[in-house]
Amino acid sequence: MNLKDISKQATAGTTTAGTISELKEIETKYLGRHGEFNQYFDQLPKEEKPKQGATFNLAKQKYSAEVQKKSDEIIGRESAREFDVTVPGILPSIGHLHLITGAIEEITGIFEKIGFIRRRYPEIDTDWYAAEGLNIPKDHPARDDQETFYVSDNVVLTPHTSNGQLREMEAMKKPPIKMINIGKTYRRQIDISHTPMFHQFEGLLIDKNIDITHLIGVGNYFVQHYFGRDRRIRLRPHHFQFTEPSFEIDITCGVCGGLDCRLCKAGWLELGGAGMVHPTVLKNGGIDPKKYSGFAFGWGVERVLAMKNNLPDIRNIYSTDLRILNQF
Amino acid sequence: MDIKLPDSTLRKYLITKATPEKVAEALTLCGPSVDRLHHKNGNSVYDIEAITNRVDTACAFGVAREAAAILPLFGIKAKLNNSPYDIKATDLPERTAVKLPLIVEIKDEALIPRFAAIVLSDLIVADAPTEMKEDLELSGVRTLNNLIDITNYLTLCFGQPVHIFDYDKIKGHKMILRESRAGEKLTTLDGKIHKLLGGDIVIEDGEGRLIDLCGIMGGKLSEVDEKTQKAVLFVQTYQPKKIRRTSLYTQERTLAAQIFEKQPDTKLVIPTLIEGVRLLVKHARAKVAGESIDLYFQKPQAKTVKLDIKWLNRLIGYDFDFKTVTGILKNLGFGIKKISASSLAASVPTWRLHDISIPEDLAEEVARIYGYFRLEGKLPVTANLSVATDPLLDWEYAVKRYLADLGFTEIFNYSLVSRDIFQKANLDTDHSIPLTNPLAKEFGFMRCSLIPSLLMDLEHNQGKVNLPIRIFELSNIYLPDQTAKMLSGLPEERSILCMATQGISYRHSKGYLEALFGMLHIPNISFASVEGNEGPWQKNQTAEIYSGKHFIGIFGAIKQGIRTAFSLNDDIYLTNLDFQSISDLANTDFSYTPISDYPDLIEDITIQSDRHISELIQLIKQESALVNKVGYKDSLKNKHTFTVHFNDPKRNLSESEVTKIREKLKLLGKRGGSESVPESVLPNPG
Ligand SMILES: [Zn+2]
Repeated sequence: MNLKDISKQATAGTTTAGTISELKEIETKYLGRHGEFNQYFDQLPKEEKPKQGATFNLAKQKYSAEVQKKSDEIIGRESAREFDVTVPGILPSIGHLHLITGAIEEITGIFEKIGFIRRRYPEIDTDWYAAEGLNIPKDHPARDDQETFYVSDNVVLTPHTSNGQLREMEAMKKPPIKMINIGKTYRRQIDISHTPMFHQFEGLLIDKNIDITHLIGVGNYFVQHYFGRDRRIRLRPHHFQFTEPSFEIDITCGVCGGLDCRLCKAGWLELGGAGMVHPTVLKNGGIDPKKYSGFAFGWGVERVLAMKNNLPDIRNIYSTDLRILNQF
Repeated sequence: MDIKLPDSTLRKYLITKATPEKVAEALTLCGPSVDRLHHKNGNSVYDIEAITNRVDTACAFGVAREAAAILPLFGIKAKLNNSPYDIKATDLPERTAVKLPLIVEIKDEALIPRFAAIVLSDLIVADAPTEMKEDLELSGVRTLNNLIDITNYLTLCFGQPVHIFDYDKIKGHKMILRESRAGEKLTTLDGKIHKLLGGDIVIEDGEGRLIDLCGIMGGKLSEVDEKTQKAVLFVQTYQPKKIRRTSLYTQERTLAAQIFEKQPDTKLVIPTLIEGVRLLVKHARAKVAGESIDLYFQKPQAKTVKLDIKWLNRLIGYDFDFKTVTGILKNLGFGIKKISASSLAASVPTWRLHDISIPEDLAEEVARIYGYFRLEGKLPVTANLSVATDPLLDWEYAVKRYLADLGFTEIFNYSLVSRDIFQKANLDTDHSIPLTNPLAKEFGFMRCSLIPSLLMDLEHNQGKVNLPIRIFELSNIYLPDQTAKMLSGLPEERSILCMATQGISYRHSKGYLEALFGMLHIPNISFASVEGNEGPWQKNQTAEIYSGKHFIGIFGAIKQGIRTAFSLNDDIYLTNLDFQSISDLANTDFSYTPISDYPDLIEDITIQSDRHISELIQLIKQESALVNKVGYKDSLKNKHTFTVHFNDPKRNLSESEVTKIREKLKLLGKRGGSESVPESVLPNPG
């Protein structure tokens, strides 16, 4: 083939190209390092090369310009083409972490930032850790409220995460103790705000000179990080066998901002119980109540979840319907 | 213990200008919580939650006493009025009728700290006064007649249960208080017949008939009615544990029982009796027809608790001065003796004997009356701890997150399961832990496997969502104490990961698992056919999973029969992994392999062999150092195709070198082999 034929073929090829990638292919075929043009030039006898050099370069340049022109044309056509940018994407397969896992992780993170150590203690425990060691003697009316499941006379499904208190004291042996114990707990009740299995997070801080204002500080810190900057807590008198003094903790209502509404009681929502660790409990955990003091709280994971997300029925959290779970 | 208290009743005992709203707010912050304040016909009603150890606040007078101590700290004057503690024995109206005999016999003084009664005659049964009826109704008590209403009103005001018997119905006018015998029967006022277990406190009359289930509810036999003319007014306190036991098993959780089991103040017995007589004289024209009987077997012991103000301030985190502390305690009825400039001894009032015994109890009184809400919160400063969280907890979250990213949905099933679903999954319940008091049959056992729960989840979702389905649960299972744990008497709680797919092929399901092991850097994973025929697994499509020699779980198909039982038509592949092992083996280490500067030569090679595929892959890798990577493509009967990558990091490979290796690889199948593999085991390509 002579240079003219090559140019003709190349031009014809370029004209038929419909897309940029087709055009690139044709361009490579003719103008590439081992393209038709170069092959033609390479096979010329040595003495012919200087003579034809100028013509050859001109042909290549001309073709190069044609390619550029075609490229502009294709790009111009592509940009003018109608394209619906609102067409939905194709989703990859999407999984879902459970709400409770998410909440536990969030709660853990908040407390770890201020030095609490995440723990998990037995869900099935002896009466000593779940009750008697927590200053709740056998036959005590306080056991009424617990609605405890029994495995045997001496072994229970823990009705709260407070069994972790004594276990943590035994494990650490000496303050400071800063625990956030999160686990499954069980009570014999099922209704709109109770499931027989649920989760609690138990905070325990024991050190020298720990006082009530520290509990208030940690409580405020938690609710501000979990619920929002503008939230705060208040303590009300209550009674638990394993704390003295004991408190019921309320949080400002997020819906009305503390004014009063349908969801709250005069601007406040109940968060859960807390208190200063009872000296008997410290003693039972091998810690000298004369030297150390501490606070503890045990709050419901489902409860804070429901409060944060306005879930009306706590039982929904335990739905196994993927149409619900896939919304989480 | 919840009570409804009308504002009008409260104000009989409390003089203050505070509005009901203010009273409710102050009580909630510093005393018993007022859950709600209702307004009805110009009156208000407080829904009060009396804290369990504060039975003294479960009545109008008790709430008034709290309010009188609390309101001054809100800058509002408040004073107690008409205290029953001011009623003296001499206030009892004198006998005005013929004396009627009443013989009382106490078989066991331990049953009854204090016993008081008085006989009244000439009673006229009628309506109680309107005001009393209104207050009772607002407090949620049904009104009947003046006699019954007065007893209930006394309880509302003073928190002391009171009973009234028809004197003429007590045979022989004799009351014998004793423990019941097992099998004795008694009909209570609500018409229920109770067969007693024995050891209950009861009263028998002169003819051996049981006329009172003491502290719980009166007996039908001695009930007052519209014809009653003579009566016994009856005020007691009882041994709390006996009352509680009887109340629980007879399921008669009456107000009286709830109060008696919490030990009300015995000092209130006679004032209540006297006030009762006064009201019956006034509203039922009663005449006193006998001396009051007062058997006081267990008088309260005086109790003093010392309080160091510096210690108090350290516990509360506030600077109270001596005067503020003593002021608060005095308002609550404590007697104060100064020991030093910063310490005191507080004598505990009789109505607080059962809830105040250590300095912490006094601290609570001071801090709550002052108002917890007035304390400023601060974060504690403590040393940082060098202990670490159990890595298991971190790996659990990492794996959950990863599986969710791979498209799996996490499920939380109850740990409490039924025996039925275990049988349905062909797993025996011998290893599940039964509860002695389950809530329902479906929650009877603590599960020893997550598999039945996940199969049930798939069943529940049939037809509700499109396939494929990928779900997992990562939870504890509970195993009876067979091993070293025996010493503690506790079951073993073991973390397990269970994954299930539906509508996804064997190889794709297994791919998730392999991706997971890759993420966790678990070394030397291998799969081996299971021996034996266990549980829900389809034997020939199930593998045990090992890391080195360490067994870590099972992956496989669920038997047709089990699938049918759970109404599942599609192939189900399940993974059950021991997560403790996973956590022990997982790591974040990785080793770096330099990338070759020379391109791979890639060849598809088909080998005919009866060996396991994993074995063939191993053999291909071992054949030559130039084999860089082996991928499995597909199989046709015992002809298996692999995609083999050849590379030498130091140079370009030539076609002829690769051809030589390929020819050797093709012969792999001819060199002996493992036991033959049935065709059905071969994974479906694709
Ligand atoms: Zn609100």
